[in-house]
Order: sequence, then structure tokens, then C-alpha cells
Amino acid sequence: MTAHEKESKIGVYICHCGTNISSVIDVHALAEFAKGLPHVVLAREYKYMCSDPGQDLIKKDIAEHELDRVVVAACSPLLHEATFRKAAEMAGLNPFLVQMANIREQVAWVTDDSSGALQKAEAHVAAAVHRVNEHKPLERRSVAITPRVMIVGGGIAGIEAALTLAEADKEVILVEREPSIGGHMSMFDKTFPTLDCAACILTPKMTAVKDEPKIKLMTYSEVESVDGAVGKYKVRVRRKARYVNEDLCVGCMQCIDACVFRKPKFPNEYDQGLALRKPIYVPFPQAVPPVPVIDPKTCLQLTKGKCKQSCVEACGDRNAIELEQEDTVEQFEVGAIIVATGFKTFDPSVMPYYGYGVLPNVYTSLEIERLVNAAGPTGGKLTLHDGSVPKRVGIVHCVGSRDKNYHAYCSKVCCMYSLKLAHLVKEKTDAEIFNFYIDMRTSGKGFEEFYNRVQNEGVHFIRGKVGEIDSAPSNNGEPSNLMTVKVDDTLLGEIRNIEVDMVILAVALEPQPDVDQVRRMFGMSCSADGFFLEKHPKLAPVNTANDGVFLAGVCQGVKDIPDTVAQASAAAAKAMALIDRGYIELEPNTAEIDEEACSGCKICNNLCPYDAIEYDEEKEVSRVIPELCKGCGTCVAACPAQAITGVHFTNAQIFAEIEGALFDAAPAGV
Amino acid sequence: MTTLQTDPGMEFLAQRVDGDPAFGCIQCGTCAASCPLGAAMEYPPRQLILQARSGNLDKILSSPSLWMCVGCHTCSSRCPRGIELADDLWPALRDRAMQEGIQPPAELQETFQNIFKYGNSLGESARKRLDWAKELDVPLRDLSKEPTAVEVLWLVCDYPSYYPRNQVVTRDFARILTALGVRWGVLGNKEKAVGDCDRLFGEEGLFEMLVENNKKLFDKHQFEKIVTLDTHSYRALEHFYPRYGAEYPVEHYTTFLADRLDLLKPLLTKPVKATVTYHDNCCIGRRAGIFDQPRMLLEAIPGVKLVEMARNRENALCCGGGGGGMWLDGHIVEHGGQRLSDQRVRQAAEVGAEVLAVSCPLELSRFEDSTKVAGLENKLLVRDIIELLAESMDLGEKEK
Ligand SMILES: Cc1cc2nc3c(=O)[nH]c(=O)nc-3n(C[C@H](O)[C@H](O)[C@H](O)COP(=O)(O)OP(=O)(O)OC[C@H]3O[C@@H](n4cnc5c(N)ncnc54)[C@H](O)[C@@H]3O)c2cc1C
Ligand code: SF4
Ligand code: SF4
Repeated sequence: MTAHEKESKIGVYICHCGTNISSVIDVHALAEFAKGLPHVVLAREYKYMCSDPGQDLIKKDIAEHELDRVVVAACSPLLHEATFRKAAEMAGLNPFLVQMANIREQVAWVTDDSSGALQKAEAHVAAAVHRVNEHKPLERRSVAITPRVMIVGGGIAGIEAALTLAEADKEVILVEREPSIGGHMSMFDKTFPTLDCAACILTPKMTAVKDEPKIKLMTYSEVESVDGAVGKYKVRVRRKARYVNEDLCVGCMQCIDACVFRKPKFPNEYDQGLALRKPIYVPFPQAVPPVPVIDPKTCLQLTKGKCKQSCVEACGDRNAIELEQEDTVEQFEVGAIIVATGFKTFDPSVMPYYGYGVLPNVYTSLEIERLVNAAGPTGGKLTLHDGSVPKRVGIVHCVGSRDKNYHAYCSKVCCMYSLKLAHLVKEKTDAEIFNFYIDMRTSGKGFEEFYNRVQNEGVHFIRGKVGEIDSAPSNNGEPSNLMTVKVDDTLLGEIRNIEVDMVILAVALEPQPDVDQVRRMFGMSCSADGFFLEKHPKLAPVNTANDGVFLAGVCQGVKDIPDTVAQASAAAAKAMALIDRGYIELEPNTAEIDEEACSGCKICNNLCPYDAIEYDEEKEVSRVIPELCKGCGTCVAACPAQAITGVHFTNAQIFAEIEGALFDAAPAGV
Repeated sequence: MTTLQTDPGMEFLAQRVDGDPAFGCIQCGTCAASCPLGAAMEYPPRQLILQARSGNLDKILSSPSLWMCVGCHTCSSRCPRGIELADDLWPALRDRAMQEGIQPPAELQETFQNIFKYGNSLGESARKRLDWAKELDVPLRDLSKEPTAVEVLWLVCDYPSYYPRNQVVTRDFARILTALGVRWGVLGNKEKAVGDCDRLFGEEGLFEMLVENNKKLFDKHQFEKIVTLDTHSYRALEHFYPRYGAEYPVEHYTTFLADRLDLLKPLLTKPVKATVTYHDNCCIGRRAGIFDQPRMLLEAIPGVKLVEMARNRENALCCGGGGGGMWLDGHIVEHGGQRLSDQRVRQAAEVGAEVLAVSCPLELSRFEDSTKVAGLENKLLVRDIIELLAESMDLGEKEK
């Protein structure tokens, strides 16, 4: 039973995919089999169907043989469905009259049993032929795109993407969770391999973000929900109460001086707790915006409801301090989103044998970044806990990285930042420095040269992962800072106990603790390492499976600043390409509700994961909003009145496909 | 498929049971630098893999260091590539060495002989298995004489059965079980060594024989679970026996009692005034992740002040008695190693402990010996958690 009057004419094309398919499946026999299927007027095999000559085959046949349906048996439709649809369209055929049979991923790549493979490939081809016979021409719809981009995360990735878009005159909303933008880069003193001063290259960009009229900067804010779809995302952002009005504050910081806490008393998160702050503070001097924030957990007024409020007094007529402020939620419509939420560093206290948190002079690399920073808590003076200058410093590589107990991946930047820290510590203290490494990984422009430079400065390199760090046995009861680093010097073939007075743990970069929540909100996935998954590891490294959501920076995978900036520019370009076109074509593969059959029970409205079904109060029926529908089929299956059809997944199509798979390809005797 | 494992060393590395393939070793040396005896070994753990894959299997098999591993599992637990050195590689190497006619150190050989001949590592007569119960003041169900269904099949094991210092603890445990109303029974003189250590020594054949015999024996009886004081037996039953198709629900006494803390607590009436530190043994600690329950038991005892040594839980220093270490002290010291128990008692004293609490039967005598060596004889008492519980329940023996 076919849905059309005229007898259809189907062409079948079998791709060898080089030898990917043809080395397992007898493609010639498959083509012969296809020729015997109903309505098939020709079947061909070709080395690369996706190549120009391959596509030309299809185009020519459509013209010469008046094909009105096409089946391509090749790779996954994810890869080339669009290619073949386009070829058909260029030859004047409606693109939805093309069907693919995946005989590569689903057949050739998963077996080396040739006869079984041929049989399964036949089933796939027969299913596709039967199905395509039931296809109907469909028309794509286009919708206007909101020309505005939201960027989530204001590290160097988010900053770079925002500035790039603003440069192209695009409207940007930059949402940063912390009171200031800047991310990790703003914590460093110098950056490898050139030892540029981080602040000198980052601060101008941070200020540019603030001053750029095209960028709406929302710090101390978080995305709460995302609705809608590509081109028209509706994003709700919660701006946490800062208790200081950003518009009225002039950044004089007199409020901080005036706070009733004479001295800073609470650990400054930004300084890794190595320095103290007051309840009213700016995280670091170059913070953007340069507006203080009041911590509701430590402010006397906000905790106890009782304080002189000397900050308010100090602010005077400017009236910028608003202790009554509450969180506000704003909604934005944006065409595209760039996620740039970065990373956190690994907490080494779960490796008790390294003594972090127990031995006072064992630090993480990030803590040392703060301590060597001229704008850090010590003004760049590097000392041990007792104030003395370190004389022997051990830098332990791969802490939490390349370790199946924690993160199996290599964090990529630690070898280089360890070299940087070796150089900086040496420069500041003239200490003897030992780098304990498994492999030195310094591939990058100027990286190996930097390694060589640090070697020549006299830093020791010992090949071996540290086993344990203990406090050294004290000399006749004298308190001592000494620790022993126990390491198998694998080049020497000797287990050594190296005495040091400071240890720096080169901790891994790991996904933010809330990746799962963020992933769900933006409709993304995570790869095995926990970072966000790009659409394709080689060919779509900034796209995600969710159209219109792009990735930039370490949130997609570990990388250094140059790579982060490159990826951020790419994400900005991709977002721009999307919104600049002004409209997007929607796949017509949506659900449709037959108003006659709909009883208005609203079951579908509540089930749709994309909120794509609206209810017409007047007619008392539900209706699909095609711009939002993704064609997932949830409603189709749920409708008790069977009033909903997936237009490219009709019952007739599905049954025909099953019939093809089960009967036409059945081996003799079944 | 072609194999590249034609070299005996490569072939050897290819046959792993637990953990990840040893081929994945990155020669980082974490294992060697973590091994408490690594510095004294000619071929510390990393080198086993390096030498095996470089065609030098014979060198490691004939080196004295083959018999220096005490099975503490520190290397395996830290290996970044998840390679199971302690449970797999070392025993398999030792097994292979013996197959090739290489003799283990004499003391260890003697132990093998004892187990083979007498069914226990001490070389005692099977008839004396129940000697510990002679002075017992609670009823004992000898299932070998009167087979009956019990809740707990208590495997008493070798040291707790025969060794005088351990027998005190064994009797205390019988009293505690009885006080808790547990229906328990023992296998009397039918009981034989369970054999964890034998597997770790690498006497795979002997271990297989023990599993087979024990399976036959256990299957004759009806019980809900096996409980044992011996951490090595616990480990063997929980981890290795299932490999040979012998699977039984088994618990170490620490988890068994901690699960019954509600019943136990009201019975803990007499204060035991002491600063106590707990030594995490490798079998139930690093290997099986039982860290909290022993501490829960100690903290439930009124008067006990629990302090921690710098190295505790997964980072604890081994007593040196595992993996055959109990019978390798001489060999290890002869080849430049230190007795780990000597170091451990000092660590306990450093944190001001008056009592070093243990939950493994090998440790009582090991540590008591070490307190003498370290001059801590009257300053640091070594006591099993069971003894402290019994004392607080006023069940303890009044000797001493
Ligand atoms: C110790 C150390 C030293 C380093 N040294 C160097 C160096 O010298 N040279 C170099 O090239 N690279 C270096 N790196 C690597 C460098 O830090 C990263 O490449 C870079 O910071 C990545 O930037 P990012 O914007 O992707 O992430 P981040 O810097 O982590 O920024 C992410 C931002 O997103 C915000 N955010 C997170 N989640 C949310 C959310 N849900 N909503 C809103 N905002 C959110 C965060 O608050 C943060 O501001 C070093 C790394 C470490 C750990
Ligand atoms: S710790 Fe693991 S990876 Fe490293 S040398 Fe030892 S066995 Fe190899
Ligand atoms: S198990 Fe313990 S003693 Fe044996 S090699 Fe590993 S770390 Fe050393």
C-alpha cells in the first residue's frame, strides 16, 4: 500500500567508503540485492559517495532516469545525510525523499564476519527502500534569529568571545558567577612561555568589557534556566544581591576602609584562603567591575541585623550601599549561547601521602601563583609559613592527572606552569629546585625552548612520580621545616629521599563541580573526562549537540591560554555566523496535531521536553509550535487519541521500514 | 590474531587477573617510592615490570628481593595505571620462581610445609585446635561433633587457635558473641588454614588445595555467614576464594560488631581509661576499605581517647607481617630491609598513645616484640579491639 498514485522510481547507492565498508561487505552483491527490491530502478556502488563525482552520480540519475526517491547506503546519517539531501535538492528533488542506510557504523565497523555483514546490510537497505517509498516531500520553515549572544563564564575565554562579538557590533550579555570577571588568568603573576605579566595583558581586556556599550556585564550572577531553541533561547539570569549598587558606586573603596571590622578577618576565596578580607571587599585590586561586594555570611548587619553601618556612612551622598538589596531575576532572549565556565583545580588532600593540609609547607600550584603574584596577598614575597625564605623546593608533577584513581587524562598545562613556577621561585628566592616529572610534555610554540631555558637556570629534573612526602625526622628535637620527598629516580634506578622545605603540588585541572547541572541546563553532554562534549572532536570542536550552544575554553577540555583564546574566537565566529544570517531553517521533521482528533486533554503539553506545545483555549485543542519542536516523538507516543503524527516518522513509514528489514532481506527459508 | 607476547616476560605480564594490564605501566616509580621496603629491594615493584618486559624475567626470579614484598598493597593502591602489583604480580612471580625450582627463604619453606602437613602455619597438631577453649566459660558449639544450623560460622584460624597471646582474644570474642546472643559455632579440629598468605607467597598450588578442601568442609554446614578474626583469612574468602568458585558471605569481626553497635553499646559499661591509637592493617584497610568500623568500636568504649597516627587509613604503614612477611623478617633484615613493625610502634608512641589497638591476629605478637626493640615495653600496650571491648563489658580475663 503506497501513499502516492504514481509508481515510484527509487535509486540505491552503495558506498565503499574507501575500504571501510567494502573490506567487510561485498558491495557488489549488495547492489545486486538492491536491484531486486520493489520500485528500485537502479542500484550502483561507488568508492566515495560523498565525493563530488559520487554526488554527481545521484544528480545525473535523477535527471536521466527520473528518480523520485533515493537511498544511500553509507555511513551514519549524522555525517552525511545533509550532503545527500543537498545533492538531491540540487537535482530538483525534495530533500526529504532521500533515506540513508547506515552500513558503516552499524555493520562494517562492528564485525569481521563478511557473510553476516552482507545479510545485515541487506536488511538495512531493504528497510530504507521500503521506508523511502512512504516518504512525502516536506518543506523547511525558517525563523528569525534574535541577534544577541549570551556568554556564560567571564574567564579569559568568555572575555575574548565577548570582545570579538562586540567588535563585530553584536549585542552580548556576559554572565559571571563571581563578583569579578577574569577567571583563573587573573590570579597569575606571569604566564608561560613568554612570561608576560598576566595582569598587563588581561586587565585592559577586562576594562574593555566593562566599557564596551555592546556588552551587558552581569557579575555575581548565574543562569537559572534556559528555554526555547536555537535562534530564540529564553534565558533567566539570577543576579545575586551584591548590596552595593553598581550604577551608583564610583569605586572609591572608602566603605571597605570604614567597615567596623578594623582588620580583614575572613579568608579571601580568590586568594585561595591565603589572605583575609573584610565582609565588604573587592576580590582583588584590578577587579571588574571595581565595585565592592558584601558577603551576607559575615556582614554583621546581614547576619545579626545589628551594625553601625559605617560603610553606609562612608559612602555618604552617593548612597551606593543597599543593605536591603535582594536577588533579582531577569529574562533575556538570545539567538546563541557560548558556554565558557572554565575549570577548578584538583584538591590534593584526597591523596594523604602528599601531606597537603597536614604538612604546613605543602602548597598547590594555584596557591603559589597567588604568593608569587605582585598583587597577591604577600605582595609577591614568597615565604614559608614561618616567614623564612624557602631554600629547597620540590615541584611534584601530575598530581591528580594521568592517574586512574583521580583523572586519567593529562592536564596538559601543568608541565609548563611547573616550569614557570620553577623559574619564578628561583628568581625570587634563589632556592634549589627539583621538578619531579613522569614525562615532560612541552609541545607548543616556544615551549621546548622555555624548558631548556629553565634547565639552564640550574633547576633539577628528576624522572619519577613522587611516592610520598613526610616531615623529615627532626634533629634532636629542633623544630624544622624539612620534609623528605621519596621518589624512585627512574633514570638513576635508585629510590631517593630528597629533603626540601617547600613542596608545590602541580594539581590537575578538573571540571567544575556543577558541570552536570550546567550540562543539563544547556542541553549538552559531557565526555568521559567530565568536561563538556563538543559536537565532533575534529570537525566541530566548538559546537555542541545542541544547536546554537557553543563552547570555549577549559570547560570543553584542558588547554592553555593561547588555545583558550583561539577557541573563544572560533566560538564567537560560529555564533556570529549563526546570528548574522538573520534566520535559520528548521528541520520540518516535527510533530503535527490533527485538531479534529484532539480532545484537548493536555497530556502532550505537559510531557513535551521542549515546551513546544501550546493550548488553544478557544478551540480547546493543543497545537505544536514548529519553531520549538525537535521531533522527538514523546507526544506522538503519549496521545491517547492518536491525534499526533511525527511528519517524517509516520506509522506507515515505520511499518514499511520494519517490513523491509524483516521480510525482504530474510535469508532463504525463513 | 598475532601475539607479541612470545618473550616469557611479556607473556607473563599479559596474564593479569585483577587490575589493568601491566603493559600500561608508565614506569613512573610511584610503586617503588611508595613501597616501605622498596629502597632495600634489588628490583622494587616498578623494576619487575621493566625487567620482565626487557627479557630479564630470570633476573627478578632469582633475586632475594622477590621475597621482600610484604603484600601491604601500598603500591597497587597508588599506581596511576591501576596495575595490581601486590595481589597479582608478586604472587604470580613467586609462583613461577618456585615452578622453576627456585627455593624460597628457609623460614617460609617451613611454613609451607607446616600448612601442607598439619593444615596450619604453626605446625601444630590438628587435635589441639580447640585448646584455646579449655578455660572458656561460655558454651561452645563444635559443629564437627554436633552439626547444626548456626547464624555465624566462626573460622577461628591459626594464630587465634594456637598462639597463647592470641588465645586470650579468642576467648574474649567467644564471650562477646555469646553476650550478644549470637548463635555461633566452630569447626573444631576439622578446621584448616584458609590460606590468604599462601596465595600471596605465591604457592598457588597449595592455595588451590586449601580452597578445595575448605569448600568441601564449608558446604557440609549450614550457616548464614562466616565471621573471622583473621584479616588475611577474611581477605582470602572475600577476594580470592570466589575466583575458584568458592563464594561465601564473610565478615571480619570489626564490621560484624560495628553492625551490632546498638546492642553492644549498653554492655560497654566499664571505662577503659587510655589514649588509644588504631593501626589500620592492610587486609581490611587499604585492601577492603574498612576504616570506620574499627574506630566506631573504639569510640564506643567509655574512657577511650582515640588519637590518630600521622599515617592512617589508606596511608597507614604496614606492620610487615603480610604476604608471608611474618616468616620473612630474617630474610628481609638480612637484605637490608627494616622491620616495619619497629617503625610503626614508634609512630604510635609519637602521638602519645598508651595503647596500640589492632584487629589482626598477627599484629599482637609482632608489635609486642617491636615495643621491646623500641624500648617502649611499658609505655605502649598492644591490644586487640576485642580485648578492649571485653574489658569494658567486664568479660575480660583477669590475667596479667
Ligand atoms: C596553576 C595554573 C597555572 C597556569 N598558568 C598558565 C600560564 O602561565 N599560561 C597559560 O597559557 N595557561 C596557564 N594556565 C591555564 C589557564 O588557567 C587556562 O587556560 C585559562 O584560565 C582558561 O580560561 P577559561 O576562561 O576557560 O576558564 P577560567 O579561567 O576557569 O574561567 C571560567 C570563568 O567562568 C566562571 N564560571 C564558572 N561556572 C560558571 C557558571 N555556572 N555561571 C557563570 N560563571 C561561571 C568562573 O567564575 C570563571 O570566572 C594555568 C593553570 C593553572 C591551574
Ligand atoms: S606505579 Fe604503576 S605505572 Fe607507575 S611504575 Fe609502578 S606499576 Fe608502573
Ligand atoms: S605490596 Fe607493599 S611491600 Fe609489596 S611491593 Fe607493594 S608496596 Fe612493596
